[in-house]
Amino acid sequence: MSSLSHNASRLVEIARKEGATDAVCEVEDLAVQQVRFSNSRIDAINSWTESHAMMFVAVGKRVISSDLRNLDAADKEVRALVELGKKAPPSKSYGGLASGRFRYKLGRIDRKTASVDDPAKYVREAIDAAQDAGAAEVGGTLYIRLSKLGIASSAGPMGNDEGASVEMSVRAFSQPEASGHAVSCTPSIKELKPREVGEQAAELSMMARNPVQGDEGKLDVIIQPLFFGSITQSVSHMVSALRVEIGASMFTKKIGKKVASDEITFIDEPTVESTSRRAFDHEGVPTRKNVIIKDGVLKTYLHSTSTAKKFKTKTTANAGPLIPTAFSYATEPIPFHPVVLPGDWNVDEIIADTRRGLYLNNTWYTRFQNYTTGEFSTIPRDAILRIKDGEIIGAVKNIRISDNMMSLWKSMDAVSKQVQEVYWWDEAAPPSTLPTVRARDVTITRSA
Amino acid sequence: MRDLAIKSGDVNSLMSSVDSGMNVRIVLSSGIGFASSNRMSKAEGIHLVQSAYRQAKGCGWKSPVSLSSEPVVKTSWEVQQKRALADVSTEDRLRFLRGLDSAVLKTKVKVQGRFYDIRDWEISEYFANSEGSKVRSFLPRVMIESTNIVSSGGETEQSIREWGGCGGWEVIERLNLDHALPVEVKMLRTQIEKGKKVKPGVCDLVCGPEVAGIAAHESCGHPMEADRILGREMSQAGKSFVTPEHIGQTIGSGYATVIDDPTIPGSYGYYAYDMEGVKARPRYLYKEGRINEFLHNRETAGRLGLHSNGSSRSETYLREPIVRMANTYVAPGDFEDDELVGAVKNGVLMHSFTEWNIDDKRFNQKYVSREAYFIQDGEVAGPARKCILEITTPGFWGAIDASSKNVDYSSGECGKGDPMQGVAAFMGGPFLRLRGVMLK
Repeated sequence: MSSLSHNASRLVEIARKEGATDAVCEVEDLAVQQVRFSNSRIDAINSWTESHAMMFVAVGKRVISSDLRNLDAADKEVRALVELGKKAPPSKSYGGLASGRFRYKLGRIDRKTASVDDPAKYVREAIDAAQDAGAAEVGGTLYIRLSKLGIASSAGPMGNDEGASVEMSVRAFSQPEASGHAVSCTPSIKELKPREVGEQAAELSMMARNPVQGDEGKLDVIIQPLFFGSITQSVSHMVSALRVEIGASMFTKKIGKKVASDEITFIDEPTVESTSRRAFDHEGVPTRKNVIIKDGVLKTYLHSTSTAKKFKTKTTANAGPLIPTAFSYATEPIPFHPVVLPGDWNVDEIIADTRRGLYLNNTWYTRFQNYTTGEFSTIPRDAILRIKDGEIIGAVKNIRISDNMMSLWKSMDAVSKQVQEVYWWDEAAPPSTLPTVRARDVTITRSA
Repeated sequence: MRDLAIKSGDVNSLMSSVDSGMNVRIVLSSGIGFASSNRMSKAEGIHLVQSAYRQAKGCGWKSPVSLSSEPVVKTSWEVQQKRALADVSTEDRLRFLRGLDSAVLKTKVKVQGRFYDIRDWEISEYFANSEGSKVRSFLPRVMIESTNIVSSGGETEQSIREWGGCGGWEVIERLNLDHALPVEVKMLRTQIEKGKKVKPGVCDLVCGPEVAGIAAHESCGHPMEADRILGREMSQAGKSFVTPEHIGQTIGSGYATVIDDPTIPGSYGYYAYDMEGVKARPRYLYKEGRINEFLHNRETAGRLGLHSNGSSRSETYLREPIVRMANTYVAPGDFEDDELVGAVKNGVLMHSFTEWNIDDKRFNQKYVSREAYFIQDGEVAGPARKCILEITTPGFWGAIDASSKNVDYSSGECGKGDPMQGVAAFMGGPFLRLRGVMLK
């Protein structure tokens, strides 16, 4: 009875005995090491551990959830939660839990990743490599996360899972306004490439030297996977059925319609090895590959059991956390690992094929003035390289992309063969695997 | 922490949680180590100390910098509640949210998305450091978030807003949201049905308190955070166009005075002592058009040979405390609100914003109006739809030639740090008049 799923099952049973008609419990043990560095030195080494249980109970249509942070008092807290649930107002949109017994494709944390005792050495390697490649200042973060999960549902699902992620992000400056950003994300410390990440960031920063003021107008833009990660984050949220239901999505009533170019196939793929692989969603349904956009046509929204019932379809196994997070409402369906499938271009070929455009390394602060129509802007940062007649001829600064998100996706006409797993801060998130893409005639603006 | 969200009048989610934990931060000449856990035991405490010590040793600083010297304090503080948040039942919370929903429905405005979320926290903390400081505190805080997607004639406008404060349920009651939300959705319908695009060009702009507040937060508060200025956030939230040498330099007109004050009673970003036991006080970031004072914690103040001004905050005990804003606002001026509009021949009054962003050196910002009106011959005329201000930081602060007497605040969660930490903040100001700015 020591596994996390057994602990979860025990709490579910307590809830049932107290009168809950449905209950799901997800127990997590999380251990994180973090190294933060800037100005080419380590600022702080942080670590945190969390053991908690996310608990959802329903008494008929009356639903309530809690994050049980003190597991020693969890039994008592579950009983109290069910009592609160009995008094909770009914939720008409609660559609029950996924039922069944499932077999899961389990993950494993490799021993070397679990036993890293000097994370700073990887950071020093990255800093040294960046400085060797010309960087004057180097900053970034290294994370090593170890997560163990156990889930149990009164409707049948029960299982364990574990996973690791190692994420290194390096931003290098060659001049005060010339920077490059690169990441390495992998489930295993053996695959981490600190030297390459440092070099890539520094090389981009060298290419970005002496930037000139960017011009307004329409340009083709070639966006690297790190940049694309911020863009797919917006789209990933808007394919959630909850966002569609409340109208905060440009994909409302677009199933079967063209929402991107023919070159774009966008999937959620949590089943293959990555830093965000998961065996089950937050209801305990085995995760699966979901094709969201195929050859530019929207195929599905992401669903939990409740949203699927509302939309008269089946769950896509994307039930989100049972408690609200910084980026999702409680129970909101979410993607776990967005992927854009590779195309047939080499990145060099895309650049060579571009007459007048920009090669964009990274972006941040993507904000929408209208989620329903998709008008948005985002601020490219780090290397913004000018392309003329197929060649990179210099760098620019101080620009903004101000356009329509669906128009951007519809204009993507070249997708690279090479893909990369990216995850950076809360911009390129959740972890995703993406190619480099080119979008045509994108509106560039800047301050007056 | 309690959270209740309704979607089109129906319960979307209800949550209630109790959390507890601890952290240890150790500063050595070799570096800083921070360890935290939600497991509460003596053994766990010893483990945290060992971890933080090992991590501080592992940083490998070659030029050690010590924390700034600050007075030892032994004190406690708390925010009183007239009606304790813990005493407000789920039924009362639901009744309140459904009252808002009904009030919006009664307007007959077509609002597809009506998502209202009320969340509160009661936070007890105990801080102690090796110098002898000991601070106990209790901070109740509550916020409401509303999402309204209004449609008319096949077009839509969105309003995503947040209100908050510290204290008990009285914070919610004094917001008068059953009046404010219907006004908001009717305004959005008017924007759709009667709003006209601004002809791009240079004109005068009067910014409402919400716009003044976001500008104060984004293009003054953030670039004046000393950790950014020193590069510590360089790979996440970025650096700053400001350097330590900029103190005293001109950034705007004489009306550009921006204050960050954690001690505003009832404010969303209130605290009396920061996460390092330093007493909070108002910080004059921009003062009469000049760069005046950075936001500091003990680490950044130590690096610049200064004293902390009490800006150390963290979202939770699990996270490293870093330099943060609290309640950032533009100082009031000496004009009545209508005097600002009265002296504009042709211009725009931008009451509020929807889309906004700013670059990571905090120099190039964009605000798109949610509610705006044309000004003609000193009078507010018809609605102006999606008015765009895309401007530099000195461009904004340098264009102000008048500000009104009354300050109003908005609430928000300020995001910074790695992992991202959202902290409660007020953003505010009076009406500001900007002369000769480019609108798109």
